[in-house]
Amino acid sequence: MRHVLLTAAAAATLATGAPGAMAQEVTLGRFFGACENAGTDTTTSVGEPCIIQSIINAADAEIDGVSINTLPTDWGNYYDQIKAAFAGGTPPDVFVMHRHRIPEFAGIGALSELSGDLEAAGIDPSDWSENALEAVSYEGGIYGVPMDFHANLWHVNMGLMEAAGLVDDTGAPILPSSPEELLEHARMVEEATGQDYLAADFAQFPIGVRLVLALMWQQDANIFTEDGTATINTEEAANAVTAITQLFDAGYANPQLNYADSQQAFLNGEAAVLVNGTWVVDFYDAQAADPEVALSNYYAADFPTLFDTGATWADSHMWAIPSTLEGAERDAALRVLAFINDHNIDWARTGHMAVRSSVVESEAYTNLPHRDEYAGTAAIARDTPPSERYGAIQDVLNRELQAIWLTGKPVEDALADAELEVQDQLDR
Amino acid sequence: MRDAQRRYLSQRQSAWILLAPFLVTYALFLVYPFFRGIWISLHDWNLLAVAFNPDAMEFIGLRNYERVMWGRNIQWGFSAPLWQGLGVIGLALAVFLRRADRLSRFNAIALGVVSLLLVVLPGFHPGEGGRWYDRRFWPTVGNTLVFVGFTVPGVTIAALLLAAGLNRETRAMGILRTLFFLSQVLSVTVVTLIWQIMFSPRQGLIANITKTFGGTPINWLTDQQFAMAAIVIATIWWSLGIAMILFLAGLQDISKDIYEAAALDNARGARAFWFVTLPNLRRTITLVVVLQIILHFQVFGQSHLMTQGGPNDTTQVLVRYIYQTGFRDSELGRASAMAVFLFVIMGAFSIIQFVIGREKDE
Repeated sequence: MRHVLLTAAAAATLATGAPGAMAQEVTLGRFFGACENAGTDTTTSVGEPCIIQSIINAADAEIDGVSINTLPTDWGNYYDQIKAAFAGGTPPDVFVMHRHRIPEFAGIGALSELSGDLEAAGIDPSDWSENALEAVSYEGGIYGVPMDFHANLWHVNMGLMEAAGLVDDTGAPILPSSPEELLEHARMVEEATGQDYLAADFAQFPIGVRLVLALMWQQDANIFTEDGTATINTEEAANAVTAITQLFDAGYANPQLNYADSQQAFLNGEAAVLVNGTWVVDFYDAQAADPEVALSNYYAADFPTLFDTGATWADSHMWAIPSTLEGAERDAALRVLAFINDHNIDWARTGHMAVRSSVVESEAYTNLPHRDEYAGTAAIARDTPPSERYGAIQDVLNRELQAIWLTGKPVEDALADAELEVQDQLDR
Repeated sequence: MRDAQRRYLSQRQSAWILLAPFLVTYALFLVYPFFRGIWISLHDWNLLAVAFNPDAMEFIGLRNYERVMWGRNIQWGFSAPLWQGLGVIGLALAVFLRRADRLSRFNAIALGVVSLLLVVLPGFHPGEGGRWYDRRFWPTVGNTLVFVGFTVPGVTIAALLLAAGLNRETRAMGILRTLFFLSQVLSVTVVTLIWQIMFSPRQGLIANITKTFGGTPINWLTDQQFAMAAIVIATIWWSLGIAMILFLAGLQDISKDIYEAAALDNARGARAFWFVTLPNLRRTITLVVVLQIILHFQVFGQSHLMTQGGPNDTTQVLVRYIYQTGFRDSELGRASAMAVFLFVIMGAFSIIQFVIGREKDE
C-alpha cells in the first residue's frame, strides 16, 4: 500500500513538475500592515503597506516560475509569529526583519548565510553602502538583503513655527540646540498659537524610548555597554529624561497620546513638531496637500542636537531566508530578494533612506519630496549595542519611562529600576 | 443465526469503541500537552534554540519556579497590614460564625482558607538587600486578580439585573434578549477594536459626550487610573450574554406559585426579587460566578490589544506575561512554570465548583 502511494505521489510530482506547468511557491512574511488592491505598479503606490505589497505583487507577476504567497501576519506580534513558525518547522521562505534581531536569529543558526549566492542571484553587495553591509553582517557572514535605513525625524508644521517666529531666512525651521532652548521654543509656540510644541507616542509604542535614547547618545552615553553592563541610572539619562519631562510639566506636550492620537494631533495642527520615523514622510506630504487637513506646510527635519554630538535612533529593514531552505525553493527565494533589491528606489519613496549607493546617488532619489530636508540623518543614525534581548530591553525602558511621564514615578527611582531589570535581561 | 450473533459486540466493547475517538483526541490534545507543559517547565528551554537543536534544553528541576516566584532574602512578616488585617478578621469571623452555627461547615472552611491565604501570601517581602528574582510576576498576578475582582461581580450583577428585566414573554423582550446576547458572539479583536474607538479621546463616543457637557475627555487607555477600568468595562459588555442566558434559564425554573404566594404577603417588585428570586437563583449564581472566575483568569486579548499591558504595566495580566516570556523572550521553560501556576489557581476554582455542584440543597 505504501509503495503504491509513493509511486502515485512520484507520478503526480513528475506530471506537475513538467516545464512551465507549475510555479515554485515562495511564502513571504512581512509586517508594515495590510494593503488591499496594491496592484503591480511599483512606481505610484503610496505608504509603506501599499508600496511593499506592490513590489511583492510585481515580483509574483514578473519572475518566471515563481509565485509568492504573502502570509497573514500582524505588526504587533510579528516576531512572535515568526518564532512560532520556526519552532513548528514551517518558517516563511522569505521574511522581513530588523537588523536588531540578527543576533537573536542568526545566533542560533536560524538564518541562511547568503554571501556566496548573492552575485549569482543578481544582487551586487558592493553596491550596498558600508553601513548597509554592516547592518546585515553577523560574525563574518551576510544574513540578509538590506532594504533601508529608517530613523526618527522631527516632522514640523511650518505654519505654527512661522507664527512663533521660528523660521530662518532659508525657510527652514529653527530647532533647539539645548534643553533650555527646547523649553523656550515650546513657550514661544504656545504663546503665539496656543498649541503644543511637541507630540509623539509616549504612551504605547517605544517612540518615547527612542527619543530618550537619542538624547543619551547625544551625550556619548548608552543604556548598556558591549560587555553587558547596564548603565541607565546615570546623570546623562536623567538629563535626557528631564529635557522631555520639562515640556510635560509646563504643559507644552501631552504624554498621554498614543501613536494614532499623536499623529492625529499633528495633522490637526495641534502640535508644531511630531517625533516619528522616516516611514511617514510620503504620507504626511500627501496629507499636507489635502485641503481638508489642517497641516498645510510640512517639513521633515533632522533630529536636532540638544547636547554635544548629533544622534538619532535608527534601524534597518532587511530580508532573510531561513537556514532550513534548500535547492529550488532557496533559489526561488533568492530571486525574490533580488527583485526587492532592484526596487530599492520604490521603497525609498516611503521616506526611508536607500541602502544602494547607485540609488542614493541617483537623481530620482534626491528629487524625492523633502529628501534634502533630512539629508543629515544618515550621518547621525545610531542604535543600542547588539543584544539577543533587544525586544525585552526596549520593553523595560518603555515601561519605566511611561511610569515617569504617565504615573509620576520619580526619575531616579525609574532609572534605578530600569537599570536593575535591564541587567537581569543581560544576565539571563 | 450463529453468524449474526457473532457480529454483535458486548456492551463493554461498544462502549470502548464509541469512547475511543474522544479518548484519543483528549489524550493527544489535552492530556499529553498538559504533561509536556509540566515537563518543559522543569527545563531551561529556549523556543528557537530547541527548534534547531533538540538537545539545547537543560533539566534544571524547579529552578524556573524559583526564578519566577521567589527571590533573594525573602522574609515573612506583617508587611501588608491592610490585606493581612482583613485576613485576620476573616479568620476570626469564620471561627466565630461557625461556633454560633450561623455558617455552614463548607462556607466556614472556604472563608477560613481564603482568609488564611490573605494573611500568609501578602506577608512575603524581600528583606534588607534582598529582591524578587522576577519583579514583574507578583504584580502581574495582582493585576489579574484585580481584573477578575472587578469583572466577575460586574458581569454577574449586570447580567442578573438584565435577565430579571427581560424575563417576560413579549416580542420586544425577545428582541432585546437577542441584542444583549449579540456582543457575546463577537471575537476579541472586534470587541477591542470597537472599544478602542469608543475610548479614543479624539473621536470616541465617550469623549464626544464628555465634550458636549463641557468636560475634558479622559485618555482611558493611557491613564493609569482608567486603563484597567477600560478593559473591565469592555469585558463586561462582551461577556454579559452567556451569564444572562444562564440567569434566564434559572429564572424560568422558579415556579410562578412562589411569586403568587409572596404577592399575598405583600412582597412585590424589589422585595420579591430580594426574597424570592435571589434565594432561588443561588445555585445559578454560584455557577455563573465560578465559570466567570475561571474564564477571566485567562484574560489576554483585551489587555494585549487595548493597552499592551500599559501604562507602566498596570494592565499587564498573567496570560500576556506567559505569552511574552514564551514567544517574545523565547523562554519556554519559564513561561511553562507560570502556566502551571495559573493552572493551579484555575484548578482550585474548578474543585470549588465541583464540590458546590455535589452539595445537596440544604
